[in-house]
Amino acid sequence: MKNKKKYTEIFIESLSIDKKKFSEKLKYNDIPEWDSIGHMTLMSALEEGFKISLDTDDIVDFSSFKKGIQILKKYKVD
Amino acid sequence: MNLKKLENFARNIRKNIIFTAFKAGAKSAHIGGALSAADIIAVLYSSIMKIKKQKILDDNRDRFILSKGHACLALYSALVEKKIIKRKDLETFESDGSNLLGHPIINKLSGIEFSTGSLGMGLSLGVGVALAAKKKQKKYKTYVILGDGECNEGSIWESILCASHFKLDNIVIIVDKNNFQQTGKNSSIMDLKDLTSKFKSFGCSTTEINGHNVKKIYQSLMSKTTNKPKVIVANTIKGKGIKLFENDNNWHHSIITKSIYKNIIKEI
Amino acid sequence: MNIQNNIKLWSSLGMRATFGLIAMELVKKHPNLIITTSDVSTSAGLDRYKNKYPDKYIDVGIAEQNLIGVSAGLSSEGFKVISTTFAPFQTLRCCEQIKVNLGYMKHKICMVGLASGLVLGNLGFTHCSIEDIGILRSIPNISIVVPSDPFELFKTLDQAIEHKNSVYIRLTAGSNSKIINDKDYEFEIGKAVEIKSGEDVSIIGCGNILWNCLEAATVLKEKNIKCSVVNMHTVKPIDKEKVIELAKKHKLIVTVEEHNIIGGLGSAVAEVLAEDKNNCKLVRIGAKDFYSPGGSYDYLKDIYGLSVEKIIQTVFLNL
Repeated sequence: MKNKKKYTEIFIESLSIDKKKFSEKLKYNDIPEWDSIGHMTLMSALEEGFKISLDTDDIVDFSSFKKGIQILKKYKVD
Repeated sequence: MNLKKLENFARNIRKNIIFTAFKAGAKSAHIGGALSAADIIAVLYSSIMKIKKQKILDDNRDRFILSKGHACLALYSALVEKKIIKRKDLETFESDGSNLLGHPIINKLSGIEFSTGSLGMGLSLGVGVALAAKKKQKKYKTYVILGDGECNEGSIWESILCASHFKLDNIVIIVDKNNFQQTGKNSSIMDLKDLTSKFKSFGCSTTEINGHNVKKIYQSLMSKTTNKPKVIVANTIKGKGIKLFENDNNWHHSIITKSIYKNIIKEI
Repeated sequence: MNIQNNIKLWSSLGMRATFGLIAMELVKKHPNLIITTSDVSTSAGLDRYKNKYPDKYIDVGIAEQNLIGVSAGLSSEGFKVISTTFAPFQTLRCCEQIKVNLGYMKHKICMVGLASGLVLGNLGFTHCSIEDIGILRSIPNISIVVPSDPFELFKTLDQAIEHKNSVYIRLTAGSNSKIINDKDYEFEIGKAVEIKSGEDVSIIGCGNILWNCLEAATVLKEKNIKCSVVNMHTVKPIDKEKVIELAKKHKLIVTVEEHNIIGGLGSAVAEVLAEDKNNCKLVRIGAKDFYSPGGSYDYLKDIYGLSVEKIIQTVFLNL
């Protein structure tokens, strides 16, 4: 993924987590910061950062950092 | 505990109740329910509660809530005996613009913590006040008097569940169980059956006593509880202290005429 | 805090989840805040607050009468209290406790009514609320504010917590609610906000339904009917001056609310107009005093004349 650095930065900033707490294995609800509110914050930040508009189904399916990479390909972000 | 002082205090409360009801004349007053609560209130105000005029708003004072608000004559009488309100204020009872109406109106400077009268609400307030004490780490106690008819209200049981859930051992609930409500006996209107067991099953440390034995009232109020709210089911007689009124529900809310007053005042 | 980014986020979250975020900010400013609820935390976005500040959160269970009594007791002892549950239970189940504790004894509580109006229509009318404004308006000493969007909710709570009396805050719409205020603006409890100007008709609304008012106004302009759209977020005390000013400037006022036309915003405006000399006609749009079959939010809005098309039709028919 070409945009991995930006993608990772958006994750860390929008979920307000320590860089040390971050891992590519991160999944929804794994950490308190990635709760339902954190999730919407993350989605908003990704839309803003990559200038896209995510479908509701994709927002629901976006269950992990890795899954997110797959989903973003649909929106020509890779 | 000074037994003579206690009994005197209770006698004076009864005198004040009868006098004030008489002065109210045709406006009438809730008499029976005030008399049944008189001994409980006497013990609380004379010997138990940390409350005095000079420190009436002190955050460490004990709080008293008369959830059965229609027994207010007993409360006002106690406040007079404690010199928190003036004796002549009693004469304004139920008059235009008075602070002393047929149900208590909130007036912290006069020692009235909340407006009550709509049954079933005072205990909730008491639970809030007791929770506040825990959060502020204050040692004051909250005393709430309920009527037995009042226990028909579901909101009472919401509050009891809550007091028990939050382990409020700083709230004391006294039920003035005189077996009557407005229209007649509890047992025929809405039978409470075994009220004491009900409070026990809700997680309260519950005792049942003679509500006119001031020594027993004092002892049960002084006993310690941990992690549970305390409930004292006090068996009382509606109209207690005046033979003409005792167990006669016509004196729930009535007028004391001159001739009746002349007869009954001798009893106290 | 970047307002623009937050406006978008808050709107996607909706008013309920935003309330949870606002609570996290309010408690920093007001350390003696306690939030009381009746078995709702996730539904009010309060999970984070509950986990971070467990000693400032009291859940009394499904017991709304006790909720108000306990909240009043806490308030009487110096705490700042916000109580919350779904709107019908927050206002009707404990109505007398609200009257006695907040109205009569004037204990100060902010009550947040979740998912008011029609948004939970697919759950049936036990979970909708078209009566809450009307009933609370009759109780003295309680202000009533209906924020138009989550950003306005932030401003409302910020002021309500310092307001002189109790405030009922009525939340409408769900997640992905519409943005009515897309940039910072002056907000004051009691002062209506004219969000669009136009000299023919004035559409006065409250709550997220203002979006439909704005859309209707845009279509009407194309047909040469110029509408002003006014956000009357505070239904009590109603901004009398604004209502009278609008009556002078327009020949028709239309009120729009997710509420019975009896007792709510429309009635409050009617009361002002009736006692004032003016030549302005008033039409109230809302639930015409009946409970419709249940269904989606859009379905119910259409039945009650609150869709964009029906608002436009109502304006046409009454010009």
